[in-house]
Formats: sequence, C-alpha cells, structure tokens
Amino acid sequence: MDIIASLGLGFSVALDPINILYCFIGVLLGTLVGCLPGIGPTATIAMLLPITFSLSPAGALIMLAGIYYGAQYGGSTTAILINLPGESSSAVTAIDGYQMAKQGRAGQALATAALGSFFAGTVATLLLAFFAPPLARAALNFGAPEYFALIVLGLLVSIALAHGSILKALGMIVLGLLLGMVGQDIYTGQPRFTFGIRELYSGLNFVSVAVGVFGVAEILRNLEDEKSRDVMVKSVKGLWLSMTDFKRIIAPVLRGTVLGSLLGVLPGGGHILSSFASYSAEKRLSKTPEEFGRGAIEGVAGPESANNAAAQTSFIPLLTLGIPAHPVMALMVGAFILQGITPGPNVINDQPALFWGIIASMWIGNVLLVLLNLPLIGLWVKMLSIPYRALFPAIVLFACIGCFSINQNIYDVYAIGFFGVVGYVLIRFGCEPAPLLLGFVLGPLLEEHLRRAMIISRGDPMVFLERPISATLLGLALLAVIIAVLPGIRQKRKEVFVEED
Amino acid sequence: MKKTAITLAAGALLASMAFAGSAFAQDYPTKPITVVVPFSAGGPTDTVARLVAEVMSQDLGQQVVVQNVGGAGGTLGAGQVAVAQNDGYTLLLHHIGMSTAPTLYRSLPYDPTTDFAPIGLITSVPMTLVARKDFEPNTMAELLDYVKANGEDITYAHAGIGSASQLCGMLFMNAVDAQMTTVPYQGSGPAMTDIIGGQVDLICDQTTNTTSQIQAGEVKAYGVTSPERLGNLPDLATTAEGGLELEIGVWHGLYAPAGTDAAIIERLEAALQVALANETVISRFAELGTVPVTAEEATPAALTETLTSQIELWKGVIEAAGVYAD
Amino acid sequence: MAVSNFSTKDLVSGAMFVAAGAYFALEALNYEVGTAFRMGPGFMPLLLGCVLAALGLGVAANGWKKPDTERPLSPPWRAMVLIIGVIIFFGATIRGLGFVPVVLVSSFAAAMASRLNSPVFALLLAVTLTVLCTAIFVVGLGMTVPWFGPWLGM
Repeated sequence: MDIIASLGLGFSVALDPINILYCFIGVLLGTLVGCLPGIGPTATIAMLLPITFSLSPAGALIMLAGIYYGAQYGGSTTAILINLPGESSSAVTAIDGYQMAKQGRAGQALATAALGSFFAGTVATLLLAFFAPPLARAALNFGAPEYFALIVLGLLVSIALAHGSILKALGMIVLGLLLGMVGQDIYTGQPRFTFGIRELYSGLNFVSVAVGVFGVAEILRNLEDEKSRDVMVKSVKGLWLSMTDFKRIIAPVLRGTVLGSLLGVLPGGGHILSSFASYSAEKRLSKTPEEFGRGAIEGVAGPESANNAAAQTSFIPLLTLGIPAHPVMALMVGAFILQGITPGPNVINDQPALFWGIIASMWIGNVLLVLLNLPLIGLWVKMLSIPYRALFPAIVLFACIGCFSINQNIYDVYAIGFFGVVGYVLIRFGCEPAPLLLGFVLGPLLEEHLRRAMIISRGDPMVFLERPISATLLGLALLAVIIAVLPGIRQKRKEVFVEED
Repeated sequence: MKKTAITLAAGALLASMAFAGSAFAQDYPTKPITVVVPFSAGGPTDTVARLVAEVMSQDLGQQVVVQNVGGAGGTLGAGQVAVAQNDGYTLLLHHIGMSTAPTLYRSLPYDPTTDFAPIGLITSVPMTLVARKDFEPNTMAELLDYVKANGEDITYAHAGIGSASQLCGMLFMNAVDAQMTTVPYQGSGPAMTDIIGGQVDLICDQTTNTTSQIQAGEVKAYGVTSPERLGNLPDLATTAEGGLELEIGVWHGLYAPAGTDAAIIERLEAALQVALANETVISRFAELGTVPVTAEEATPAALTETLTSQIELWKGVIEAAGVYAD
Repeated sequence: MAVSNFSTKDLVSGAMFVAAGAYFALEALNYEVGTAFRMGPGFMPLLLGCVLAALGLGVAANGWKKPDTERPLSPPWRAMVLIIGVIIFFGATIRGLGFVPVVLVSSFAAAMASRLNSPVFALLLAVTLTVLCTAIFVVGLGMTVPWFGPWLGM
C-alpha cells in the first residue's frame, strides 16, 4: 500500500500543470533532437542545463528526463525514414525499419515503434516504482567477470544480426571490436591506432561511424545508377497497422520489454545490448527468419520496445544509488547537483516528492510521446515524397553539423567520410554494417571488463567459471553457438546421406 | 515556460549579436564568453564551471557559455584554448590536471605556464579515502597497518590516467610506502559503482562523488584530505588526525589564453570574485563538500603561484611512480 | 579467368578482412602485450587482429565454386568524390569560414553529386538548406559556432 501512496504523491507532483508543461517541452525537444543525427540527448541536456537554474528541481529534472527518453523515441524516426541512426539503439531499428520504409510501409514501422515504446515505457515505469531498490541491489552483483560474460553472450547471440553469411558477420563484428579500440588505452594511457592525432585519443565517435556506414554508404549506393534504380519509396501503403501486423508485434513487444527492462538496470553497459539482444531473439524465435533484414515488422517492434524499456530502467541505479549508468545519466547527476540535490541512496527518503514525481512523470511523458508522435506519422511519411535528389544533400549536411556539434571535433566529421566509403565498399562486397556497429560499441567494454576481471583475480581465468552469474552467462553463450551451428551440421549430414544414396 | 522562452530568445539574440563587430577592451564584454571545460558535461568540474558561469554572466552582463571539450585527460580542451584568440571570449576552466599534464604527457603541445594568462583560483575540492562496506579495517590506523601488511592483495580503484583519484592513490602509496594493485576505471561513476558493489577495495575520490554514499553508509570512510573537517561530514576525521600525511585538494582555476589584455583579465577577475561570494554558489559548493576560495586567492598571482608549485610537486610524484599517459 | 570459379564478393571482402586484421595485429605489436594478470594495450588488438585475418581467409575460401551471379553497378565516382569532398571541406573550414558560408558551399556541392540536379536547382536547394540549418542548429539549438568565421575577417 505504501507504494500506492507514494505513487499518488508522485502523480500529484507530475500532474501539476507546470510540470506537465515541462515534461511536454522535454519530450518534444527530445523527439526533435532525437531525429537529428549527432545532436543527441547528451548535447541537448548540456545546452539546456543553464536554463534549468531558474526552474524548480522537480520541473528541471522532469524536463531533462523527458529529453532523454524522448530522444530515444525520436531516434527511430530518422533511422526508419532515411537510414540515419543517431544512436546505437536506433542502428538496430534501421535494419528492418528502413527496409519497411522502402516498401512503402514507413507508416506501419513508425506506428510500431511508437506503440512498442509506449507499452515498454509503461511497464518499465511500473517496474521502477515497485522494484527499483531491489533491482539496483541485484545489479551490484555484476562485477567485471559478469559483464565480460554478458558481452560475450551478446556478441555470440548477435550473429543473427546478419541475414547473409555467418562468417562475414563474424568478421564484421571483430572488425567493429578492433575499431572500438582506437584511442587511448584506459589502463595505461597508451594511444592506439591514433596516427599521433590527439583528437583520436578519446576514440572514434559512435555517431560518426554509424552515420557513415549506414547513412552515407546508403546515399552512395542510391547514387550508383539513378536512372534505372528505384530509389526510395514505392507508393505508401496506408499508415496504420493491420490486424495481421498487430498480431505479429504483440509477442516481440512483450519479449523486448522484459529483455530491455532487465538489461537497462545494469550500470556497466547493459542498455547498449538491449536492442541488439532483442533483435537477435526475435530472429531466432521467428518462423520466418529469412524475412529479417528485408522489412520484418518484428525487427522493429522488439528492439524499439527493448530500447525504450532500457532507457527507463537505466534511471534505477541513478535514482536509488546515485550511480550513473551512462553519460546521459552522468549529466543528470550534474543536473541534480546544480539543483542542490546530491543524488544518492538517500534521495528516495529525503526527497520523496521529487523521486516519485520523476517516476510518475515518465509515464505521463510516455503518454505525451504517443499523443505527439502518432499524428506526426502522416507528416513524416509525407516527407518521404520529397524527391531523393533534394533529400540526400540535406542528410549529408545534417550528418556533418550534428557530428561536429557533439564535441566540436573536426575529426568526428572526417570520420563520417571515411566510414561512408568503408561502409559502401563493404556493403558492395556483401558485408552488412549492423554487426560492425555492435562490435564497435561493445569492443571497448569487452576489453575493459576482461582486463579488469583479470587484474582483480590476479591473472586467474577460472574467475569466470567460479562466479555463478558469469558461469551461467558463459554457459548460455556456449549453448547459443551450439544452436547456431547444429542446423548446419544436420544439413551437412543430410547431404552426406543423399550422396551415399 | 515564459521564462524558458525568454531565456531561449535572449540566448538567440545574444548569439546573433556576437558577430556584430569587434570589441575594445574598455567595453568588454560585448558578446557571449565561452568557458571551455576540458571534461564531459555533468562531471564535478563541469558542475563547478556551470555554477560559477551562471553568476559571472549576471555580473558581466553577457552570457558565459560552458562548452565541454573532453578527451585526452583534459589536454585536448586546454590545448584548444592555448591557441584560441586572446580576446577574452574564450576561457579555460581546468582543475589539478593542469599541473600534472606536463609530466604525465611527455609530448604536450602547450605549456601551462607560458601559454595561459591565469585569472584566479576557484575552489579546492577535498578528497575522501573510502572502501567497500565490508572491508576489514575500521579506522585510519587499522587501514594503514592493513595496507602495509597486505600491499598488492588490496585493489585500489581509480577513475583513469591523470584522474584525481589516481593522483591521490599515488600520494597515499607514497605516504604509506606500500604498493597496492591499481584497477583503472573509465571515470568516477563506474569506480564508485564497484566500490559500493564490493568488487574492489579502496578508492580516494572527490567529496563530490563520495559524500552521499558516505552519509548513506554505502561505503566505509577513513578520512578526508582537507586541513579541517567538512561541514556536511562532521564525524569524518581528517587524514592528519588519523596519522596519515596526505593533504590533497582538487583545485580549480580559470585561465585566458596568454597575451590577453590586462584590463580584460582584471574585469574577469572581478567577476570571478563576485561569483565566489554569491550565496547560491557558496551553498551549492557546500553540498559538493567544498568552499570557494577567498577573494585574495581568486587572483592571477595566487593561481600562478599554485600552478607553478603544483607542477613541481607532481613532477616528483609522477616520475617516482613512473606512470605516464603517452 | 582464373578467379571465375570464385565469388569476387567473397574474395574481395575476405582480402579486406585479412588486410585490416593484419594492420591491427602488426600495429599492436608496437604496444605491450602484457601478462594474464596485467594485460597490456597490445593484447586484445593482437588477438582480434589474428582472428579477423583468419576469418578473412575463411570468407575467401567460402567463395570457392560460387561465382557471383549479378554484375555489380559501376561505383558512383562523381558522387563519391563530391560527397566525401564535402565532408572533408566541412571539417576543414567550419572553424575558419563559419557556419553560413560552409553550409552554403557544402550543400551546393553535395546536391551536384546527383546527375539529376541542375546547377540552378542545386543553388536553390543550397540557399534553402542554409537558412534551415542556421535556424535549427545555430539559432534554435544555440550551437557555439560563428555565422561568419575569422578567415573572412569578421
């Protein structure tokens, strides 16, 4: 009953008209910047921090939180419409979402993203309200060995990201892992693969790589032969989901929500895995896996739900323990402090109105997002009727400006060009870019956790098997490999039999 | 909402005025001033910068915009300001790392002592020595014995090469004369997470990151590295009280590029002093576990003095430890 | 042709993997490999570089007796030069020339990457995009970049 009373308190704060307004401004801004590549939630929150000085703490934090999950939502829009993912999570949405758009089903893809996110957001908010403290405690059991095992599992399961050759997908993952190692080694400070350029010390920028291998590479492909090629959209086939579509997305949304909620709680990089993991799971469980990568609606529904659920539950470590799970959460710590509140385990007791107000506002924010985005779908889809020859220069410009604005680092801009060419060449020779991006985001984490686990265990690799959670995760990884390889073996045996006959 | 809209509109207006024409020192400032913070937004240094910038804006009558240029342990942002136009519209707010970089980075493209015109010190954030909840020693005396006895079996976490927690660790190991196993992290957040989760043993980190955890009993605290006890942690003894000679503060300073007009420096110094006497700044600083420096210290002379003496100090410590960042 | 038995796609992508893997592995030899206790900065790149090179060989071998069926389109050289050129131009001049001139020139050149765009159309598009981008990024989002940069003496 206590929680009901607390939620009541939360809603009384969140339903204050002023706070609803801030929440609306937050999600609106978030949606808009989410659509623009590069200018992500981090940059926006940083730019808006000075303005929040003059607001009440609840209003300020509700607005900033709104920007964050609003941006998660908006990010899928450009990924679907023009294959330009602004964040790791929307890179997965781009795989099937963009294909759907090409087939004239952009409306359905956007609607799926909106509904899936809304459902996931609602469930994650409830989780946050009822189980935040115990979940955060449980997440603390994850040390370096557990994260290492989790990432290995994620990598092996994600071979499913590719719809072509498994070998090529593995190659792209490893190439991504290697690209992720560019920059200063955090253990020794040794700069690696930087060609002596200081701007590369902090590594390649994810947005540059993503925008390059997805966005720019796609533009180059579309310009290959403009006359004979049907660039962009066939006629738009309705905007709304059919009954069949609805039936197809229910299970993926549910699974995505569960997966995302759980991974989001882990402060050491769990949220990054959520959308990739959900996509892999859906492809594995699908009766028609060959549709994935060619416009399968499940490939949008699952990852979008997982992503939004993780975005919401990644507030759990921050709100209950004062631990930021990723850079945006670190920025939220700064916002708390500027408001005179030090985030930590005491916030829930010292500032109950603020704590519950933020949680309640997340649900309201999700309602606002759906109300805002469903009517916008028609508008977005109309945007696709802009001729491609006018659209692509805008995409190139937005990509450059967006990437430059993140750190004012011109090498981030050069990287778009480099990875545009790399992406184009790789795609031309039959390698898909999605596994490369997964490897890229997970590479640094894989190395960091492996080396930390080895330091803490003093060089004893048995640590991965002695700790129950990491042993279980590694066992699952082994199982995933066996399942992936088995059908191949079975088929080979069949072939052998045929030949013997 | 109205306020937000006005602020946004004002910001846009200011931004457009910024390009109206060049300015003379006597009517400085005529356009928004950029303060480069060489770390990512949301960190302790960024927070200090934003608090101070807000009040300086009011005093200068121009927006003071914080710009985060992170990377390469703070040397990227500092390097950018070193070569920026010295017209007083690009400043640098950097911490103790300004004095360690010349030793940590053997190929630093700028010289902290000659490429900058110091404006003044801002604050010195104390550090706290904390451990996971169930770490054996309970008092500072026990800790010192324990470290001497167990040395490399203890894991010491720090926030990365050149971070304050790494520097404090070096000083601590020097003072105790024992080596622990150091475990680097990517920033303070993940390091504290593993301390709270009991994955590693010990860390010495800024009060900004530790105060709330100490108050909530999530970590075991042994001492604070300031000369006096802190207002919001009155029960925590200083390191000196505990018998450990370890005094370190993460001092922050404000700089302009070298060759900036003296009149401009004076104007900025005055604005800084006003900001440091502001009540909001003082109360927010208090919650970070720190206090603004006195008006005498918020001067170019005091900052120059601190910078040169700290460069000397860290040169010795870092060279002795043999730790380099490149 | 000798390679007609091979899939060119597989052969080339395999070769690229081998080259990339070799680069990372060889470069990693310059860094310390370390021990199991304290792995050095060279350990992971060396290991992964070798894995990548091995995978590359596998990919190439996999193309044996599977010649490509479709003929690839010729690469869009003009678009590649223009678009990559625009990106490099943008990075190299954004600080010096300032936002407005850079966006204007860049969008014009980018638009010319399509053979379907006439210079007049490209110019119109460039002006529209410049107004739009300045409004969104500089005015709206308060990006800290000058409208006209120091190279123009302003």
